[in-house]
Amino acid sequence: MSKILEFIDVNAGYGRIQILNDLSFSVEKGQVFGVIGPNGSGKTTMFNALLGQMRIFSGKIIFDGVDITRMPPNVRCKIGLGRTFQVPMPFENMSLYENVLVAAVHGGSNRERFAHDEALRCLKLTGLYDKREIKSGELTLLDRKRLEIARALGTSPKLLLLDEVAAGLTDAEVKEIMKLVAELKAAGYSIVWIEHIIETMVGSTDRLMCMAEGRRVTEGEPREVIESDEVQRLYLGVDENE
Amino acid sequence: MNKRLGKPVKVLDSLPLLIVCIAVVSSLYVVCFTGIASNNAMRYMIQIFLYITMGEMWNLLSGFTGMTSLGQQLYIGLAGYSVAVATTKLQHSLGVGLLLAVAVSVVVALLMSLLLFRMEGMYFSIATWVVAEAFEKLFLNWKYVEQGSGLTVRVVPYPKIFEICAFSLTVCVAAVAVVYILLRSRAGLGLTAMRDSITAASACGVNVFCHKLLVYVIAAAFTAVAAGVFFVNKGIVYPESGFGISWTVSMIFIVTIGGTGTVAGPIAGAVIYVFLQEFLAHYPGWSNIILGAVTILVIFFMPKGIMGTLQEKLGFEVFSAKRFSFAKHK
Repeated sequence: MSKILEFIDVNAGYGRIQILNDLSFSVEKGQVFGVIGPNGSGKTTMFNALLGQMRIFSGKIIFDGVDITRMPPNVRCKIGLGRTFQVPMPFENMSLYENVLVAAVHGGSNRERFAHDEALRCLKLTGLYDKREIKSGELTLLDRKRLEIARALGTSPKLLLLDEVAAGLTDAEVKEIMKLVAELKAAGYSIVWIEHIIETMVGSTDRLMCMAEGRRVTEGEPREVIESDEVQRLYLGVDENE
Repeated sequence: MNKRLGKPVKVLDSLPLLIVCIAVVSSLYVVCFTGIASNNAMRYMIQIFLYITMGEMWNLLSGFTGMTSLGQQLYIGLAGYSVAVATTKLQHSLGVGLLLAVAVSVVVALLMSLLLFRMEGMYFSIATWVVAEAFEKLFLNWKYVEQGSGLTVRVVPYPKIFEICAFSLTVCVAAVAVVYILLRSRAGLGLTAMRDSITAASACGVNVFCHKLLVYVIAAAFTAVAAGVFFVNKGIVYPESGFGISWTVSMIFIVTIGGTGTVAGPIAGAVIYVFLQEFLAHYPGWSNIILGAVTILVIFFMPKGIMGTLQEKLGFEVFSAKRFSFAKHK
């Protein structure tokens, strides 16, 4: 399998505060790649750097063989990066259909009549089809998270970036999201998924990376990563000397 | 229509609406050319047409794209001075003056975009205002344009009032048409997305910079034409009358009263504004207080403005930018 995404020694931050420190990792095509880490470990910053929503100090980001380090966000979207936001950011005064249509027209570079079919397909895939004419500002949290995914899918991504799509949901809702991710994987999408909930990640990912202080702490099989000393220490505060 | 899909909204942008629009516009032209209307009535009509144009443009910036500019008077002042310099100083015709006004405004808008588009939200608003103020000071101290004593607009031969009226109507119709066509286009979809969230729009592949630039330049050009006509009608331009913030205050009033984010809003808003202003001229000193009070009342009780509330209550939309999933694609 070939690499779809590669971070090479990326340093990034806001103003003078450095958040990512020499971060390096790579994602294979067709994988669900999980990212865990304590609050403030730089997970969302990694996404922002990847999507071009912040400036990188040094390092390189290679996506599908192309160096995207200096590309503006809308171009990165066009070449195949689709993201969801941790705090959903729907276009509140537009219907669900219009939300996804924006992504399909601008992100997928389609003309509106082709985008129409694509938008409906994404709404069906995420289970929002019946609500497609509702204003997105009126949605529940679960549906907002689904809409984030539908909109990301609308841009016809090669790599789907999910930022805490299960956070804040009830157990039953988390199961629905896990089912959805499994369906997306089966549909052939490569996925990078940031999440806090460890059980979710063990159940759904092919590979897991743990971050702390903007670095890669460990990476490997999900079960092994969760049981590794580093992750136990970070999450459970187990003392080395005990 | 499926009930689960939410409240059905009827979009009136099909043939009947087009016919009504053509009928209204052509009857307005007839009124202009046949002299049915008195000069006084035509003076009101000119004001209404020009304010509709400016209102539509401010609405396009703020209501549809989320760029709340407090500095559109920059292009009004520039247009006023362009027309005055072209006609009085350089002895050219009015047409040349208006073309110069548009050209100057577009060039300045392109240059300003480099500076202004680095900012968002409130910072953008304040920066646009500061730039307009800076231009006022520049013109106050510029010898060529007679500094603070103002420039007269001396057009030979001076156009008849019905000509000005017909031209204003044309500008106004063009402004509404451009806004509507823009909103129905691919760019319009991006613009409405940007209004709700710039970050999410750019993550969805919308080229934020290009969209902003397009709207900002269109707004500058139309505002400049409207302002050019206004100063021809007025006959003189001062730095304070050209670059004053009161222009933007009027635009905000018109758009807020009429309905932010609706194409029909500024039309209603401009009519109300012109008549209210005329009525309030009898109460000098109170006029701004009353205008302010009216705005606050509307914001409290009808946050979507007159047209916005009306359309919501009656379940229809005219000149709508909405897309429907069940629309037939030709």
